[in-house]
This record gives sequence, C-alpha cells and structure tokens, in this order.
Amino acid sequence: MTDRTRILLLLGPALVLVGGMVLSALGLALLRSLHLFPVVAPDLSAYATVLGSPGFLASLALSVWIATVSTALAAALALALALLLRRGFPGRGMVAVLVQLNLTVPHVVGAIGLLYLVSQSGAFARLAHAAGLIARPGEFPALTHDPYAIGIILTYIWKEVPFITLILLAKLQTLGEGHEQVARSLGATRWQAFRHVLLPQLAPALAAASALVFAFAFGAYEIPLILGAHAPEALPVAAWRAFTDVDLTRRPQAFAISVLVAGLGIALLLLYARLTLPQRGRHAG
Amino acid sequence: MLRPLAALLLLTTAATADTADGEALKAMTWDQIVEEARGGTVNWFMWGGADNINAYVSDYVAGVVQRDYGITLNRVPITDAAEIVNLILSEKEAGITETGTVDLIWINGENFRSMKDAGLAFCGHTALLPNDALVNWDNPAIANDFGVPVDGCEVPWNTVQFAFAHDSAVVAEPPRDMAGLIDWIKANPGRFTYPAPPDFTGSVFVRHVFYHAAGGPEALLGPFDQAKFDEVAGKTWEILNELEPFLWREGATYPTTVTQLNELFANGEVAFSFNYDPAQFGLAVQAGLWPETTRSFGLADGTIGNTNYTLIPFNSPNKAAAMVLQNVLLSGEAQLEKARTEVWGAAPAIDIARTSPEVQAGFAAIEAHPSVVPAEELAKAALPELQTDWLTAIEQGWTVNVGN
Amino acid sequence: MRAETWRLLAGVLVALALVLPLVPLAIWSGAHGWRYPDLLPQQWSGKAWTLALSDRGGVVESLGLTLTIAIATTALAALVGVPAGRALGLYDFRGKRLILLLLLAPAILPGIALVLGLHDLFLRLGLVGTTGGVILAHLVPVLPYMTLVMAAVFAGFDTRIEAQARSLGAGPLRTFATVTLPVILPGLLTGALFAFLVSWSQYLLTLAIGGGRVQTLPLVLYSYAAAGRNDVAGAIALIYILPGLAILLFTASRVTGRGFGAVLRP
Repeated sequence: MTDRTRILLLLGPALVLVGGMVLSALGLALLRSLHLFPVVAPDLSAYATVLGSPGFLASLALSVWIATVSTALAAALALALALLLRRGFPGRGMVAVLVQLNLTVPHVVGAIGLLYLVSQSGAFARLAHAAGLIARPGEFPALTHDPYAIGIILTYIWKEVPFITLILLAKLQTLGEGHEQVARSLGATRWQAFRHVLLPQLAPALAAASALVFAFAFGAYEIPLILGAHAPEALPVAAWRAFTDVDLTRRPQAFAISVLVAGLGIALLLLYARLTLPQRGRHAG
Repeated sequence: MLRPLAALLLLTTAATADTADGEALKAMTWDQIVEEARGGTVNWFMWGGADNINAYVSDYVAGVVQRDYGITLNRVPITDAAEIVNLILSEKEAGITETGTVDLIWINGENFRSMKDAGLAFCGHTALLPNDALVNWDNPAIANDFGVPVDGCEVPWNTVQFAFAHDSAVVAEPPRDMAGLIDWIKANPGRFTYPAPPDFTGSVFVRHVFYHAAGGPEALLGPFDQAKFDEVAGKTWEILNELEPFLWREGATYPTTVTQLNELFANGEVAFSFNYDPAQFGLAVQAGLWPETTRSFGLADGTIGNTNYTLIPFNSPNKAAAMVLQNVLLSGEAQLEKARTEVWGAAPAIDIARTSPEVQAGFAAIEAHPSVVPAEELAKAALPELQTDWLTAIEQGWTVNVGN
Repeated sequence: MRAETWRLLAGVLVALALVLPLVPLAIWSGAHGWRYPDLLPQQWSGKAWTLALSDRGGVVESLGLTLTIAIATTALAALVGVPAGRALGLYDFRGKRLILLLLLAPAILPGIALVLGLHDLFLRLGLVGTTGGVILAHLVPVLPYMTLVMAAVFAGFDTRIEAQARSLGAGPLRTFATVTLPVILPGLLTGALFAFLVSWSQYLLTLAIGGGRVQTLPLVLYSYAAAGRNDVAGAIALIYILPGLAILLFTASRVTGRGFGAVLRP
C-alpha cells in the first residue's frame, strides 16, 4: 500500500462524515437563504430584509459586544490565573482541581446558577438586603436581562476563564522557566521578563484559545436565551426564532442570518489557522 | 446520494406505519377504529412545564388508554408548540406525509391557524368520536379557536379565562377594572410589568388594553380591518407608552416570559402576575413558589377566555390510536379528574349537563383552591378572542411602537 | 504582606467564584419556596429530588439517554478520529492544511451557523427526531477535538515499534492492540474526555436535530427552569454535573496535562 492510499483510507471516514455534513449544511443553508431549495427563483430578498432590519443590526451589535467583552476579560483573567497557579501557595492543588471541574459543568447549568445568584432577587441581592444595603429587589443593580448583557458575559467568563487557563498551563508546562531565568539573570525585572520573554511565547496559545471562546460566545443559544433582555435578542436567539416562526416566509431570513454568521466564522477560522497551524511540517498540534 | 438513501429510510419506516391513511379511517365505524388502534403508540407533544399536568397525562390518561385499549401513550414535553408546528411544516416540505413524528399536539390560536392554513391538520374526524356528543359545538367560543372555525380539525380539551393574581397581604384591595389598574400602576411606580409580546401571556395582556382603548371588543370581532386597527392601535400605544415610566425597571426592559413575571411576583418585585389559566396560581402556591395569601380576580369590564384543543397532524402514522386518546380525553371521567383541585384544577371543555349523574356529582363536589378565582365568577364578564390576524398585528405593532 | 499570602488570597477568591453559581442551585433543590429577602428557604423539602428521581419526572430516563448519546458519540469519534489523527500526525501531504481546516471548522464556526443547515440535511435523510440522528449530529462539533488530540499524539509517535512487532510476526490487529494502543492510550483518553463533554453539553443541536423528541438533560433542565420550577431545576442541574465530575476524577490520573494544550473547547 502506498502512503497516498494509506492516507486516503485513514482520512476517508472523517472527511466523508464530518466534512460531508459540514459542507452540506453550509450549502443547504446558502441555497435556502437564496430561495433556491425548493426551487422558487433565486433572489437576495432574504438578505435585503435581514440586513435592512434594525432588529438584525442591533442583534449583531449585541452579539459582537458579548463575544468581544467576554473574550477579552476571560483571556486577561485566565492569564493572571495561569501565572498564579504556576507559583506555589497553600491550597493551590484545590484551586487547580476546581478549575478542571468547572470544565465539566455544562453552560446551561452555569447560566441558570448565575441567574439564581445575581438577579435582582437572587442570592447576592438577599445578602445585600441582610446587610441593610437595599430594601427592595429593584434597588439591586440589574445584572440579568439587562441592556449591557452583564449576566451573559459573567456566565461566559465563569466558564471560559478555566478553559483558557488550562490551555495556558499546558503551554507553560512545555515552556519551562529557562528563558525567563536567563532574562532575569541578565538584569531584566520580573515585569520585563514577563512582557518580553514569557508573553510572546504564550501569545499564540492565548490567541488560539481566545478565537475558540469568541466563536462560542458569538454563536451560543441557551445562555442569552436564559439571561438576555427582551430586545435586542442575541443573534442566535433571533435566528432560531426566525427559523421556528410559523410564518414560513421568515425561514430564508433565518438561513440568511446563519450564512452571514458562517461568513464571520470562516474569517475566524482562517485567523485561527494562521495562529496555530504550521505552514509545513509534521507537527499538527 | 441523498435521495435514494432517504427513499430507503422512508420505505423501511413506512412498513410500520399502519394508520397513516386518515381517509380510510373516516370510512370506518368507531369499533373498527378502536380495533385498528389497539396496541398502537401515540406520541403526544405537549407543553411540559407543570409536573401535575405531566402526572395527570402520564399516570391517569396513559393508564386508562393502556388498560382499556392497550395503547402506549408517549408524552413528549416541549416548551413551545410553535416549534413543533414548525417541525411538521418542515416534514411536509421534505415530503414526509405518512411517517411524521407527531401523533397529537396540544394547541390553539395562531399555531392552530398556521396548521389549518398550511394543510397540516387531520380534519373531519372529530364527529366520529363517541364523546364528541358531550361537546357543545353551538358555543361559538368552542366552535371557533381564536376566531378561526374549528371545522372538525381539533378536539376541545380545556377552557380557560384570563385572571390576575395578587398577594392579599401586600395589596388588600386590587383594582377591579382596566381603568382602575392603569391608575394603580401610575400611583405605584415600579410595581407592575408584563411579558413582552409575542409571549403568549404578555400578548393577551396587551389585548386587554387594546379592548379598553377600543371601548370593548364588539367593533373588533370579525376579519382584520386595517383602518379600525390603526385607530385603536394608536390609542393603545399611547396608553402603554404613558405607562412605561411607571413600570418595573421603568419599562427599559420587559420580562421575556410569563415565568419571569411569576418570579418577579414571587419575590415581591411586582404586585401582580396574571395568567390565561388561573389554575396555575393554585399550583404555584402548592409548589411553595407563591405565598399562601395569593388571591386572584377578573376585571369588571371582562377578561379574555378561550379554549385549547388537541389536534392530529396530517402525517401522523398513528391516527387511530390518537383518535382513541382524544376520545378518552373528552370523557366525563377524564375531564372530572383534571378538574380536581389537587390534580390540575382545569375547567372542562365539555357540557357538564350532558354527562352521567356520577360525573355531575363529582363536579359539584369540587372545592376550589382559595388562590384560584372560580371559573363561574370569571365567566360573568368574559371577552372573546380576536382573529389571529389581529393578534399578529398587535404583537408586531407593540414591538415597533412600545417595546423598542 | 508576603507574596505567598497574596497568592493565597487570590486563590481563595478564585475558588469561591468557581463554586458560587452552584450554591443557589443546591439550595433550591431542597427548597419548598425560597422568596426574597430570605437568605435560606422558608421550608425545606425533598419533593424536587423525589420528582427528579421518579419515573414521572423523566429525569432518570433522560440521564440514561444523554449518557448513551455522549458515549456513542465518543466511541464513533474515536473510531473515525484515531485514523484521521494518525494520517495528520504521521504524514505530510499536499492539501493537508485544507483538510485540517475542514476538520477544524465545526469547532470554530459559531453553532448557529451550522445548526439550521444540519437540520435541513437531517430532515431530508429522515433522521430528525431520532437518537441516531442526534448522535451523528453531535459528531460534527466533537470530531475536531478527537482528531486534533490524536494528531498531536501521533506527531510524537515512533512507527518503528510497530514495524518491529510486525517483523516478529504480529498481525495488524495484534500490533495495534499490544503495541500502538498502549502508547496512544493517555492521549486517546484525553480526546475521549473532551468528546464526551462536548456531546454532553450540547443544547441547540440536540433541540434542532432531536425535534423536541430526543429529550436530553439540558433540554429537560431548561424546560423546568422555563416553567419556574427552580427547585426541580436545581436538582436536575446537580444530577447533570455529576457524571462529568465522576469521569474527570476517574481519568484525572491518566490524562496528561499536555492533552489540554492540543485543542480545547470553551
């Protein structure tokens, strides 16, 4: 058997199954958004309606806001946490275990837990009441179903900080402390060693993890469904609502939204590929 | 590659679909239909958010159909019937006409209209059910589902009428009509809100304001009238926008679901909740979610009532068993069981006077939950539903003019 | 204050933040009514747990279904992902970047970009509303993790040990079982853990492809939460996180930290 055949045989099932499903799904969504399947007459009206509606633009803006803020804060906090966990302190093992355990908690659980924790009548509001800070729930800051999507962002931070931290810890483990120690011995301050030696080495892993987080926070449905305000809706919620609307004419619009999101996702994918995939060579991780 | 594969899948499943042909069933006698149904399975898609309703269906109803007919009832809990209507629509688009996933759906209003208009309902079979005789089809509120003639496409299951809930320990004397409620809201800033339409419950609250602005529903009944709508809608948005600064969070945000409103009420953030089905108030108190001092009331100018139904989709593969189930649901015994306060407290869809003396005595013996305003009292001032075109126009108008 | 004390303080804060959102869920699961401004429920009750564990609640059945789907997806992902990972890890060939991109795509594309199209596809295949359909659909977001973890494992794999075994007369299956598998096992377990967790927490994909009929735990959890039954939602939430915890604890000793670096899902 030649290498070529061997590679084909090894890759075949994965390509046919997942490649097939992904390309068919994208293709079908594109056809449906253009009124091409079932064949009516190709037109761009769904895109015109979607792009021309203030609701879509508000939803897009909200989802970009949620994904950007969640990713930025989660990345910064995760960097700090990873550096913290690299050092020794009492209880470090415990924190490390909790970080790993968080990874196993589904997002929907986190969203509902956070709702019961930070809503205006939630556990924190009750503590504030007990401390004499507020009298009525309405006096507690609105952190859920609020215009800034704070509850949604908090959920993502809660879930994604451990995720990014674990990636960074793995990277730190492979890097070791050698380079930093050399820099320190050459007179660099602790900050300089971090800024000019460690951070550049961590950057690709951090950026790749952030891209995954951004894509997820942009495209997830159940978290904004549970914690979002009535308007504007996050893009996935708006798309699903258009898709399940009993008015069939809204379906091409739903597919149009999904194609637009896919476009953004493909841009993200190319960025991710630049950051993580080697141009050539055997290494694939 | 897809087409042959799909055809193959259809072939293999079609072999097990025995009572998909509705026309053949309609030509049979009831006894023949029961024979066809025996040993079948019914996938009943229904809202699954209340465990006592789930228990009534899974324990009582499923028990009866299994014992008497050998039918297996598979209750499929859903959160929104619109999604299931959409699923059936998708199936029709994909050419699935005999092997649909849904055998029965709990439905009314806009979803029913969509199914009927799109030819997704199995129609013309309801008169075959022996217990159909218990239904008073002369009552327009039963013969029409949100103004759309039922036409033998669905079987009534419950009747409901909108009511408000309040905590008598907090608000001892609630307002008694819409004008009074509006004054109350302005006098008590931040203590009232309603779910944003198209939420089902928020939408019906806005319709009460719409009726109020129109001076009553009489002029609005019948087909959609754009001129009339524009006139009344203008006044309605004015009233609601004037109220907005006095609402919870000053109207910047509205709850998205009635559950959120219930939560606000439970925690004392707002003074009122409301529901299309007042039995829900009793359930919330029983579950410990709401205070024991919860009471409920209608409005002197009336509250909106409607009927909800069960419907068999056109592509159900188990139509015979689904019909038998519909017949059981309509029986005096099953309607009495769900009317019991401790079971569900749902008002019957049948004419009690047409049932057996035992069933009638059973109904007479039911003691209402103290938190639930009796159906007879609400019925003194009942308002009809509008046709669904009006509903859609009101919901869309609200989103643009009030909820933006 | 010494640096170590600061770190201890920060560590305590992190630990608290990680645990806090789970606390109200636990309290709710034992509450009979818990209204503002009470710090603890007015009355405790086991009814949420009774309901959640009874036949009627549908939770136990749903737990079994969710486990079945996650395990089947993981097994399928291993079956398909191990060979693919081997090809990507061991060989260099033309179009490799493109194939990597395609196999990576479902991990990076936002969920909503694929769900609607997949629903359309599965409808045409007659798979909507079936457990098998849901398993196949879950493979889409799951496989990238398995494939990339395995690619990283095989990138450091020395094929000469297989050649030695073969030269000593072992067949391909025997070689795989006795030589290859032990070497790749830690990586495979890491990949399997991620595959399981990704499938385990799917929401929209299951809702869409399951057509409301395949009721996995997240859907049941949401339906109780959406109906305002916070007590039952609390109980289900705790049940829902248990298997993940168990699997993590079980595999923790065998999973190498390096696996995390290969790929991960948020």
